[in-house]
Amino acid sequence: MWLRRLSTDRIERRSSAPGDAPLIVVEPVKGALRIAALNDAAAALGLTPGLPLADARARYTSLQVAQAELEADRALLVAVADWCDRYTPLVGLDAPDGLLLDITGCAHLFGGERAMAHDVMLRLARQGLQARIGIAGTVGCASAVARFSKGGIVPPGEETATLAPLPPLALRIDPEITRLLAQTGLRRIADLATRPRAPLAARYGQDLLRRLDRAFGIEDESITPRLPVPPYVAERRFPDPIGREDDVLGTVAQLAQELCVLMERRGEGARHIQTALFRADGKVYRIDAGAGQPLRDPERIRRLFLERFAVVGDACDPGFGYDMIRLSALVADRMDPVQSGLGAPDPQAALTHLIDRLGARFGRQRIARLVTQDKHIPEAAVAMVPAAHQASPSTPWEDEQDSLAPIRPTRMLATPERIDGVLNEVPDGAPVRFTWRDAFYHVAIAEGPERIAPEWWRGESNVHPRDYFRIETGDGFRAWIFRQDRLCKFKQIQDDGTEKDVVELKAHWFLHGLMA
Amino acid sequence: MTAGKPATLDRLRQEVARIEGVPTTMETGDRLRPLGVAAIDAVLQGGLMPAALHEIAPARMTDLGATCGFAVALAARPAPARGEKRREVLWIQTDFAALESGRPYGPGCDLFGLPTRRLLLLTVPRPVDLLWAMEEALRSRALATVIGELPQDGTAADLTATRRLTLAAREGDSLGLLLRHQSSPLTSSAETRWQVAAAPSRPDRFGGLGCTAFALSLTKNRRGPTGRWLVAWDHHECAFSALSLGVAAAAVDRPDRTPLVRAG
Repeated sequence: MWLRRLSTDRIERRSSAPGDAPLIVVEPVKGALRIAALNDAAAALGLTPGLPLADARARYTSLQVAQAELEADRALLVAVADWCDRYTPLVGLDAPDGLLLDITGCAHLFGGERAMAHDVMLRLARQGLQARIGIAGTVGCASAVARFSKGGIVPPGEETATLAPLPPLALRIDPEITRLLAQTGLRRIADLATRPRAPLAARYGQDLLRRLDRAFGIEDESITPRLPVPPYVAERRFPDPIGREDDVLGTVAQLAQELCVLMERRGEGARHIQTALFRADGKVYRIDAGAGQPLRDPERIRRLFLERFAVVGDACDPGFGYDMIRLSALVADRMDPVQSGLGAPDPQAALTHLIDRLGARFGRQRIARLVTQDKHIPEAAVAMVPAAHQASPSTPWEDEQDSLAPIRPTRMLATPERIDGVLNEVPDGAPVRFTWRDAFYHVAIAEGPERIAPEWWRGESNVHPRDYFRIETGDGFRAWIFRQDRLCKFKQIQDDGTEKDVVELKAHWFLHGLMA
Repeated sequence: MTAGKPATLDRLRQEVARIEGVPTTMETGDRLRPLGVAAIDAVLQGGLMPAALHEIAPARMTDLGATCGFAVALAARPAPARGEKRREVLWIQTDFAALESGRPYGPGCDLFGLPTRRLLLLTVPRPVDLLWAMEEALRSRALATVIGELPQDGTAADLTATRRLTLAAREGDSLGLLLRHQSSPLTSSAETRWQVAAAPSRPDRFGGLGCTAFALSLTKNRRGPTGRWLVAWDHHECAFSALSLGVAAAAVDRPDRTPLVRAG
C-alpha cells in the first residue's frame, strides 16, 4: 500500500484550505531546497520531485511551500499502520511512505480482496489520505504495483507478466544501481529477467538478483511486523461507533469471554493483555494490563480493565466513538486447570488478583514485597520487589544480639536525617540529648555502638563506618541513630589574622529509624 | 430491679445489632482477636472485632514510632481461628506519609513479630486513593489485615469514608486498621479508636533497653467502656502483657448504673 501524497496530505488534513491549490514540500538537498513531495494540483502543473524550489517559484509564483517534517510524516505513517491493525495483525512499515500488510487468510473477512482494498481506500480517503493499493503474491510485486502502476490485484502466477513493463526502480533497489542499469539500456524489469544472471550479479551486486527473485516469488520474503503478533485475539466491530465507557467495558467483558474460551482450548492463560480501541476517525488507543499469574477468568480481566480505565480513561477521548474494539493476549503462559475448593474461595488466588488490580490502578512498581538482601548497609538490606513478580521467599532476620528490644527499627526514614545539638558524655559514646525536627530528646537508656562498615569490596572505602545506637528517652520514645565521621572543610582564622583552610573529620549524627 | 437489667440490655443490644446487620459477639465469639491482656479483653468483650475497622493514632507527634509498632503488633498477633488460610498483611501509605515519616522496615518488622514474607507494601499518591485501595483490599477476602496510613490527621477518612471501610471489612471479613499520624476530632464509624503513646520500658538487668512498652488509651469502643492501660509487647512470643499503671481501678469495675463513657 502506497500513501502517494503522505506529506502534502498531512498538511492539507490540518488546514481547512481546499486541496486543489498547488502545494509543495521542500527539503534541503546538497545545499539547495528541492521539492520533496507535492500534491496532485502541483503535479498537474508539471512539477516533479527533485526540482529546485527556485525553479518552481520562477515558473509559478503562487505556489504554497512547506518545510519537510520527516518526524511528522513518520508519525502519521505509524498512526496509519496502527489503524491498519484492524485488517490484519501483520503490518509492516515500508518507509518512508508505504505499508506492507500480510492479508493472507484475512481478505475473506472483508468480502474478498477487491472489497477489502476498496474499504481501505474509502476509509483512508475519508481521513484525507490518498492511497494506492497493490495486492499480489509477493511483497516485491505488490509494492511495485502500488508504486509504479495503477495499483490493483495481481492474480497468482501473473507476477512476472505484471512486473515486466515496470522500471527496475520498482524492485526497491538502490537508485544508483537503477541509474547504471538505465545507462546500459536496461530500462524494464523484463530486460533484467531475461539476461544471464551471473554477469548481472558480478556487475550490480547480489542484492539486485535477490530483489528480482523475491518479486517473482522464487525466494520467500516475509513482512517484519511492527508489533508482536498476539497469540490470542478477540475483536468486535460496530456498525455505529460506541463511545460510552460502560459500553466499552461491556464489550471488553464479552471479548474476555471469547478470549478465555480460546485460551482454555490450548491450556494457557494470559500474562499481558491489551485492549485496542479503534476510533472511527482512525486514532487507536492501546491500554495494557498485566497479571502476576496466568489469567483465564473473564470477570477478572474485566475488573483489571475497569481499574485501567479509571486511570487512563480520561486520556482516551472517544471523539465520535470507537468502531472496533480488540482484546488480545500478548503474552500467554501455560496454565493448568486446578480443582477449585468446592465453594470456598482460594485466598491465594484472591490475593494474586488483588495485587494485579492494585498494580493496574497505581502501577505495578507501587505494590511490593520486601525481600531480604545479604547486605550490611541497613537501607540496602531490604529490597522492594514488585509483588506481581515471583520472588524468592524472604529469609527471616536473625536476632543475633542479646537484647530484650528488637535490634532494628520497625520504621525507616526515607533518608537519614541530621540531628543537632548532640551532647555526649563519653567522646565516642551515645548522646545524652539531641534535637530532631525541632524537639528536644533526653536519652535515658542507650545500647550501642553497633558498627556497620561500608562494603569496602564494592569500592566504598572512602565512606566512613556508621556507629549505630538504639536509644530510649525518658518518656519511652525510641529511635535508631548513628554517628558517622565526615570530612569538613572550613576556614580558620589564625593568630596573625590570616585565614587558613582546614580539613578535618567531624562526627555527624543522624536519626535513621523509629523503633517501637 | 437491677437483677433483670443486664439481661434486658443484652437482649436489646442483640436486637439492635440484628437490625443493623452487625455480627454479634456470639456469632464472632470464636474469631475475636484477643490482645491477651485480661483487662483489655474484658472491655472489648473478648477481643478486637475481626471483621471491622479500628483506628489508631499517636497521642503526641513523637509517638508515631510506637503507634506503628502497635499496628505491627496487632497484625502479628496470631489469628485465633483455626484453618484460617489468609496470612498476608497489606500496609498502604500515601507518598507523603512515606516521605515524611518513613516506611515499614522489613528486618525491624521481622524482629517485632511480623515476618517479612507476610508483609505487602503499597504506596498511593493521594489519600482518596488510599481509601479506595483499602476498601478493595478489605473486600477482597485475600488478606488477614489491611493497614492504611494517612498523613496528619487524615481528614479524608471522615464519617462516610470510615463507614464505607467498615462495611468493606464486614463484607470481606478482614481486619482493617486505620493509622492516622495525628489523632483526629472527626467522627468515625470505626469499631474502636486507640491512642498510642510510647512508655518507658523496664531496663533489663544490665541497664539496656527492655521490652517495648505502650501506653494505650482506648478512646472509643462501640461495644463497651473505654480505658487506659500500660502494656508490654514480647516480640518473641507475639504477646502483650499488662504492666501496672498505678492509677484507680479499671473502668470495667464500675457499677452498671453509672452511664458508660462512649466516645466518638
